[in-house]
Amino acid sequence: MSKHALRIIMVVASVVLMAGVGFVVKELLIPKSFGLYGPYRADAIDEETQRVLRHGTNASCFGCHQYEATIHLTGNHKTISCEFCHGTYSDHVSNGRKIATLPVKKGDEITTLCLRCHNTEIKARSTMVIKTVGVPDHLKKQNVKLTHTCNQCHHVHAPLKYINEAKKITGLMEVK
Amino acid sequence: MIIKDFPPNQDCSHENFPPSIDKRDFIKKVLKGTIAGSLFLVFPMDISSVGSTAVKNSETTNNIDPTIKLPEEIPEIRDRQYDIHKQNFAFIVDITRCIGCGSCCVADKREYNVPDGNYRTWVERYIKDFDDQVYVDCPNGGLDGYQKPRTDIPLNARDTFFVPKLCNMCREAPCVQVCPVGATFTSPDGFILMDSDRCVGCAYCIQACPYSARFLNPITKTAEKCTWCYHRVRKGLLPACVEVCPTGARKFGSLNDENSEVYKILKGPGVLTVLKQSMGTLPALYYMGQRLEVV
Repeated sequence: MSKHALRIIMVVASVVLMAGVGFVVKELLIPKSFGLYGPYRADAIDEETQRVLRHGTNASCFGCHQYEATIHLTGNHKTISCEFCHGTYSDHVSNGRKIATLPVKKGDEITTLCLRCHNTEIKARSTMVIKTVGVPDHLKKQNVKLTHTCNQCHHVHAPLKYINEAKKITGLMEVK
Repeated sequence: MIIKDFPPNQDCSHENFPPSIDKRDFIKKVLKGTIAGSLFLVFPMDISSVGSTAVKNSETTNNIDPTIKLPEEIPEIRDRQYDIHKQNFAFIVDITRCIGCGSCCVADKREYNVPDGNYRTWVERYIKDFDDQVYVDCPNGGLDGYQKPRTDIPLNARDTFFVPKLCNMCREAPCVQVCPVGATFTSPDGFILMDSDRCVGCAYCIQACPYSARFLNPITKTAEKCTWCYHRVRKGLLPACVEVCPTGARKFGSLNDENSEVYKILKGPGVLTVLKQSMGTLPALYYMGQRLEVV
């Protein structure tokens, strides 16, 4: 075999070898679903879909807490999510079983929580959207002690429940 | 992130400069590299054979824990084949209804266990005075709500409002354009998602996002962002922030559903704006009642 022929064979062999190595390396480095929808790993979409649900809905809470549901759904607070005040569904229930008790806010925590939405000093709150109060102005106006917490007059799930009932009993005002 | 300092003078010593390499060697090496590189590009990737798992998974419906009674909040998604190419979602924030309670921020942090100091969504407070001076603040991203009025500014405010911020889901997303490894992408149904397995944490996307919606997770060292709760949407549920919003300031829905609130708003005559329109990012997040000053 001449020197030239050997050269050509070597060139061809090296090209084939490099191509083979390149192909194998590419197969190893590029993820399986890459390029299905675009220059990214399409399986990442499904992985995102499988993420754990931590919030349920109010309906999932009312499945067990029917008494609370009857109160909550009749009042002005019916649009509030249970999970905002009490914690997430997944911290409470797992596979249909109760795994932990969610905290219930008490005392001054309640007032802080109420004022998060209802504080009139935050001027940005439209009266079309929410009823706001100033504390302690509201307490003075209602002739109650300044140490009163909101839930001593207002039911937290249906804020006008007790007030409307009291009005009905005393006949002070016609209840809508 | 640990940034390693190189040992002093490595590769920089002037004694070995110029490096001892002759012209023939140099040309040989360049040619070898060129040939190998071009061969690497010549062999096309067979798309039909790969990704079969992805097709299979996206066709199946998501199995929800049967013990949870979840209502279907976005119709026509659950228990049917999800055609990923035919979806069209929109998010509308009505800032005239936002009261700055921060429920959305709390829900978001809980849904994703977002590390402290980072926010997938947050609520800003804008105060505008009669001289058109604008004051913006956002204590702890709105996580604790807005309990106190601002006292550090003059009191002649004429307009105060809250602006919830989240991912704008741009149709021309700068973050997707700049990602060097394909770790962030626009899914066929219009969501900008993250592939945290591929992310190398270069933070280029964080710089590219005009809305500052991204952050580097200090634990995983990968970029993270709001996904409009993609995992919830695929189960027919509203995003967590929309779910908990007590005033309906955040609205989400499918534009394929003519009965959805977002469809009616987008089709109606109301004024809708997007953030930083001049950047040409074409957000799918619209604002109602937005003021000019908001960026």
